Amino acid sequence: MNSTAPPQGDIDDFRLSVESWLDENQPVLAPGYQGTGTLDEQMAQLAKVKRLAYGAGFMRMGWPERVGGLGGSSLMRAYLGEALTTRGLVEPGLYSMTEVLAPTMIDYASPELAAAMVPALLRGDETWCQGFSEPGSGSNLGSLSCRAVRTEEGWRVTGQKVWTSLAQYAQRCVLLTRTGTPESAHRGITALFADMDTPGITVRPIRTMHGVEEFCEVFFDDVAVPFARTLGEVGGGWSVAMDLLPYERSTSLWHRAAYLQRRLQGLLDAAPAGAIDPARLGEVTQLLYSFRARSRATQHRMANGEHLGPETSIDKVLLATAEQAVFDLVADTLTAEVTLGDDPDSERWRTEFLYSRAASIYGGSIEIQRNIIARRLLDLGNDR
Amino acid sequence: MDSEAHALFERSLRNAVKDHSGQALDAALEELGWSGAMAIEPRAAISILFRLQGENNVSSSALGQVVLFGLGPSDKPVMGVVLPAMGEWDPPGTMDGHGLAVNGLAPAALRAQESAIVVASTERGTRAVEVPTTSLTFERVRGIDPNIDFVRVSAADIGTFTDLGPTAPDWSSAVALARLALAHELVGSCRTMLELAREHALGRVQFDRPISSFQAIRHRLADTLVAIEMADAMIDAAWLDGTPDSAAMAKAVAGRQARTAARHCQQVLAGIGFTTEHPLHLSVKRTLVLDGLFGSAVPLTRALGEEMVRAAQLPPLLPL
Repeated sequence: MNSTAPPQGDIDDFRLSVESWLDENQPVLAPGYQGTGTLDEQMAQLAKVKRLAYGAGFMRMGWPERVGGLGGSSLMRAYLGEALTTRGLVEPGLYSMTEVLAPTMIDYASPELAAAMVPALLRGDETWCQGFSEPGSGSNLGSLSCRAVRTEEGWRVTGQKVWTSLAQYAQRCVLLTRTGTPESAHRGITALFADMDTPGITVRPIRTMHGVEEFCEVFFDDVAVPFARTLGEVGGGWSVAMDLLPYERSTSLWHRAAYLQRRLQGLLDAAPAGAIDPARLGEVTQLLYSFRARSRATQHRMANGEHLGPETSIDKVLLATAEQAVFDLVADTLTAEVTLGDDPDSERWRTEFLYSRAASIYGGSIEIQRNIIARRLLDLGNDR
Repeated sequence: MDSEAHALFERSLRNAVKDHSGQALDAALEELGWSGAMAIEPRAAISILFRLQGENNVSSSALGQVVLFGLGPSDKPVMGVVLPAMGEWDPPGTMDGHGLAVNGLAPAALRAQESAIVVASTERGTRAVEVPTTSLTFERVRGIDPNIDFVRVSAADIGTFTDLGPTAPDWSSAVALARLALAHELVGSCRTMLELAREHALGRVQFDRPISSFQAIRHRLADTLVAIEMADAMIDAAWLDGTPDSAAMAKAVAGRQARTAARHCQQVLAGIGFTTEHPLHLSVKRTLVLDGLFGSAVPLTRALGEEMVRAAQLPPLLPL
């Protein structure tokens, strides 16, 4: 993506205008529910906030003009998401899908396709999902088997995806398919952009341990996808995936840091006198602030046009460590609320504690991140 | 300094720390004009030198120079300073009606100076005083890491000294800068431990494979790199942020992560890393001493948490 760092003054101006816009529009931007709300409510809230922020121009800043953006540094995107998260206006995990999928479309879709599709995502008109994992291909993504067959009219896709976040809400899906032989491994993968209302797609939500139907199984039964919806080269889907994954570990992690700092402050506000162990509180804060410092540096590297790569695996390990440490402290401080409380605040703490268990699993497990660090950053060679 | 001057400066320092330690390194740094460079660009001068000291496991009197610089401008010619005792960050001196008492540490080179600066807590706040070194008692410290070449400095009732005036709040600036320097030195030590363990893992063959191919080994080394990068990120943020609280956080994180790095690297190096025939033990011991100087990770972390509980507030955040 074309983005160069603006003078710091521009970011400061942007920060001030975002903050004053958020102050002025607080009543209309605020969610209409208590606590976490249902996933339906959160999705409606997300669409509302994105639509209003797009209308005010903020949701377009930092995105290229050719996809409906207003240009400028990607730091503005990082800041907008931080501000929305800090004020509790969006759930950062849901908001982050934009930061992961829009850059991929900008980098790999044909210019016409990107120009036609990305604005609807930024504006909150559409939800997109990411069809990567399969029942037989989790950590070993390169073994995926959801098959796309070339016909005269276009691709026909048959297979199954799983852990597809928000598929039940999504209008579109960035989909990895097997177009080579079953043995072609990472060389025979092609990325497609599918419409979720195409006949042959069935979505079955899965209920997680934190009580949310956040992700789904998605079944493809001879689903038509036009050739014009191919992202990148045929057989080049592995690069699409490898370039997408660092986006999962950059701006969206900065937003996650903002969320964790908000919740840690919430713990300080909610904890009865003497309930928090200061030594642990200090350590958790250091973990969070170090993670945040790392993520901040990544934001600045990205804004300076640097290509993000395997070093973002370190950011992901730090996020998982910090997030689980924050909510372990929550569980040990607000034990009665987390275990037995039925009021909205307690339910929220419980949901968030449970969700934090997934931080070391989603987006490439911590073990996969360590494998990447060992091979790519420490140059330890093959692991067999 | 532009980037070329920066690279040249780093190269000169790299050569200096490669061949010298202790008083020889002090002389080399003086020749290079290191403390002058610190006055102009403190972050560059401190970060480069202390990382290199850590990487090469050498010592110098530069930490004292950092403290003096943190105390603010002085028209005195460069002289030594007494550092707080192990684990402490309060000024090493106390003054009451009877005179000045001192309990601190210093590089052995301080003995050769004519006088030393002692920062002291008094009823009138924190003050800096200049004392003749002949009125101080020096006792060689061996301890876990004799190579660091420290002396314990003490005195009971010094009546003759020159009062240089109040230092507060400069003492907290001096402590913050010293902590950043030590954090860089800890990270430098950790990078050397990681490199030693990495080389060993690539070369050591068991079960007909280099042990670097075993996931248990790879993950320990990966976690070591994560620990190091985490500390480095916190140190960078502390420089940008510029507050004593951030510097304390950086020092605490570096100290704790050094323990993590030492544990993983020691385990990967296994038997050979437990002997004095391999250099790992030098870095393991050095990081313990560095962690203790100006407050180790445990008390700094607890102090942070206690302050947060008291204020019911997170510390200020460095903005994007």
